[in-house]
Amino acid sequence: MSTKKELGGWLLASPYLLSAILFFLIPLGWSLSLVFFDWNVISPVRTYVGLGNFREALTSTRVFKAFVNTYKFMGIIVPGVIVASLGLALLVQHLPRGKQFYAVGFFLPYLASGVAVSLVVRGILSYDSAFNEFLRSVFGSSPRWLRDPFWATLVISAMIIWKLSGYYALIFLAGLQGIPRELYEAAALDGAGPLTQFRKITVPLLYPAFYTVLVLSVGLCFGIFTEPYVLTGGGPRFATHTWQLEIYSQAFERFRAGYGATVAVLNAVITFGSILIIRRVVESWGRRLGFR
Amino acid sequence: MRKWWQVLMGLVVVGVVGAAQIEIVFWTAPNPSQEVFWRRMAEAYMAEHPEVKISVSPMPEAPTSEAGILAAIAGGVAPTASENVFVGFGDELVRSQAIVPWNAFANWDQVVAARAMEETIKAWVFPDGNHYIIPLYVNAMLVAWRIDILRELGYEKPPRTYSEVLAVGKRLKEVYPDKFLWLRSELEVPTWWQRWFDFFVFYYAASGGQPIITEPEITADDEAAVAVLGFFKTLRDQELLITEPLATGFEEGKTIMTVLGPWTFPWWKENYPELVYGETYVLTPPPVPDNYPADKPVYTFADAKGLVLYAQATPQQRQAMWDFIAWVLSNPEHDLLWIQTTGMLPARDDVGKNPLFLEYIKEKEPALLDYAAAIPYAVPPIFHYKYVDIQELMGLECIYPVLIGELTPEEGWEAWKAAVKDILK
Repeated sequence: MSTKKELGGWLLASPYLLSAILFFLIPLGWSLSLVFFDWNVISPVRTYVGLGNFREALTSTRVFKAFVNTYKFMGIIVPGVIVASLGLALLVQHLPRGKQFYAVGFFLPYLASGVAVSLVVRGILSYDSAFNEFLRSVFGSSPRWLRDPFWATLVISAMIIWKLSGYYALIFLAGLQGIPRELYEAAALDGAGPLTQFRKITVPLLYPAFYTVLVLSVGLCFGIFTEPYVLTGGGPRFATHTWQLEIYSQAFERFRAGYGATVAVLNAVITFGSILIIRRVVESWGRRLGFR
Repeated sequence: MRKWWQVLMGLVVVGVVGAAQIEIVFWTAPNPSQEVFWRRMAEAYMAEHPEVKISVSPMPEAPTSEAGILAAIAGGVAPTASENVFVGFGDELVRSQAIVPWNAFANWDQVVAARAMEETIKAWVFPDGNHYIIPLYVNAMLVAWRIDILRELGYEKPPRTYSEVLAVGKRLKEVYPDKFLWLRSELEVPTWWQRWFDFFVFYYAASGGQPIITEPEITADDEAAVAVLGFFKTLRDQELLITEPLATGFEEGKTIMTVLGPWTFPWWKENYPELVYGETYVLTPPPVPDNYPADKPVYTFADAKGLVLYAQATPQQRQAMWDFIAWVLSNPEHDLLWIQTTGMLPARDDVGKNPLFLEYIKEKEPALLDYAAAIPYAVPPIFHYKYVDIQELMGLECIYPVLIGELTPEEGWEAWKAAVKDILK
C-alpha cells in the first residue's frame, strides 16, 4: 500500500521533476561547465581559461554598470511598485461594487507584451508627440526622454512599475481582505483616525503581502531586459544597461558563450545574495510585529 | 492481379528513386520575399533534377539569425547551405571551422564568370585566399532628399558638400523652423549595427572608400573620420539633426534627408504612394567634405550578404548544393527574378549595364538605377570577427561623447582608436 502511494506521489510529481531536470538542472550544469572556457559553442577548439572569465567580468566596466544600474532601478522600482500597488489595492478594496472587474483590469498590463508597450511608449515620448508638443508649449522645452541618462532611467522604471502594479495589487488586495473589520471598528471607538488605522493596523497586518511583493520585485530588478533593449539599447552611456542585456550581448551578439555563462552565474549569485539580505531585513521587521 | 503487379512495380520504382535521391537543406534569410525566390528556384531545379530533393525554409531567429545559425551548428542540425551571412560573421564561422570554401569546386571560375562577378568577388576574399561567402546582394546605402521641399527652398538639386548641406539647413530653418534636416535617433544609441547606417556611410564617402580596419591594424583615414564627426556635431548644434525619436520623419516631410536602402521602396509604395522618385524625392551618394574632388566617385557603405556552405554537410550534399547554387547563379534570368521578387540588387558587376536588368529597373523601379550605379563604390562591412566590439565602441567612445560636446571630434576619434587597439591585439 505504502509503495503504491509512494509510486503515485512520484507519478504526480514527475511532470514537474522532468521539466526541472530538462529546463533547469541540465542547462544549469551546462552553464557551470562553460564558465571555465573561452568558447563560442561551435568551434572545435575550446580554450580552458580557468577563472579568467570571472577575472574579466569582475573588472569589466559593462558588468559594473549593470551591477550599479540594477540597484538604481531597484531604488526607484521597489518603492514605486509598493506605493502604486498598495494604492490600487486600497482603491479597489473601497469600491462599492465591481471589485473583480477593476482588479482584473489593473492586472492586464502584466500580460501585455513588453515589446508592444515599449513601442507605444516610444511613440508617446517621441519629439513630435502631442505630449511633448504640450510640454514645449507650456514650459518652452521637453526632456530628452530616452537620450538623457536621468530621464531614460526614470522612463524604464515607470514602465516596469506600471506593468507590475496591477499584479502586486492583487497580492495586497488578498491581504487587505484578510484583515478583520472588527479591528478597524475597535480602533475607531478608541479614537484612531484613518491614518493611524492605516499605520497601526493595515501596514502591520499586510506584512506577509509586503514580504512577497518585496522579494518578487527585488528579484525582478535583476531580470530587466525588454524595455531597455527596445528603447535605449542600454544607453545612453550604459545608463540603462542591465545584467540581462549584458548576458544577451555576450552570448548572442559576441558569441562568447563561456563569458556569457560567467556573467549569468555572477548575476545569479548577486540576485541570491540581494534577496537574502532583503529577506533578513524584512523578517526582522516581521519579528518585531510578531510574525515568525 | 495485374493491378497489384502495377502497384508493386510502382513502389519499387519510387523506392529506387528515393534511395538514389540526395536531400539537401537550404536556409533563406528570415524575409518572406527571399524565401519565395529560393522556393521557386528549388522547385525549378528539382523539376530538372529529380535525383535531388531541396528543402527550403527560413532560418530561425533565436534571437538573431546569427544566433540561430550557431545554435543549429552546435546542435548538429545545420543546413547544407544558407544565405544571409555577412563577412564579419563569416569570419567567426571560418575561425570555428564551421563553413567550407566554395572555390574548392572544380567549376568555380566558370560560375564566377557566368554570374559576371569577377570584380565584386574580389572584396569577399578571406585572408587565407579562399571564398567562403558568395555575395548574393549588395545594397549600397544612398541618401534620399525631399526634392519637393528643396525646390520650395529655392534649390533645384540636392547639396553635395558639407557646406552646401549646412546652407540648405540654414534656409530650411528660416522657412520651416519646425522641420529638421536629418532624423537619426539611433546616432546616440550604442547598438553596433546602427553604425552601418550612419557613420560608415559618411566615412566611406569622406575617405574615398578607405578601409577602417585591415586586420590586424586600424587603417582608417583619420582626417575623413574627424571631418564626419565634426559634420555630425555641427548638424546637431545647428538643430538640423534630431537624435530623439520622431513619430514620422522623412515620409511626412518633417525631415528632408535620410540614409536609405532599397528595401524601403516596397514599404513606401504600400504606405506612402505619394512619394514618387524624381518628383518628391531623389537619391544621391552621401555628402562629402568641401575639399573632396568633384570628379572623384563617392563611396558608401554596402549592406551586403551572401551564401555559405556548412562543414557539417556530407561531401555528397555539398556537391549537390554547389550544383544547385551554380545553376541558380549562372543564369541572369534568375537574378532578374531576384530583383523582381526581393527588390534588391544582385551582387553582379553588370547590374547597372546589362539590358536585361536595366529594362526592368527603368520600367518598374527607376530609383534602383542609382543603387546599381553605386555598387562599384559600395564597401562591405568590416572584415573582423570582433565587429560587435569595434562598432559598439564607435558609438560609446566616439560618437556620443562628441555629439554631447564632451569630446572634440579629434579627441573622440582618438578615444575610439585607443579602445579598439586593445581589441585588435
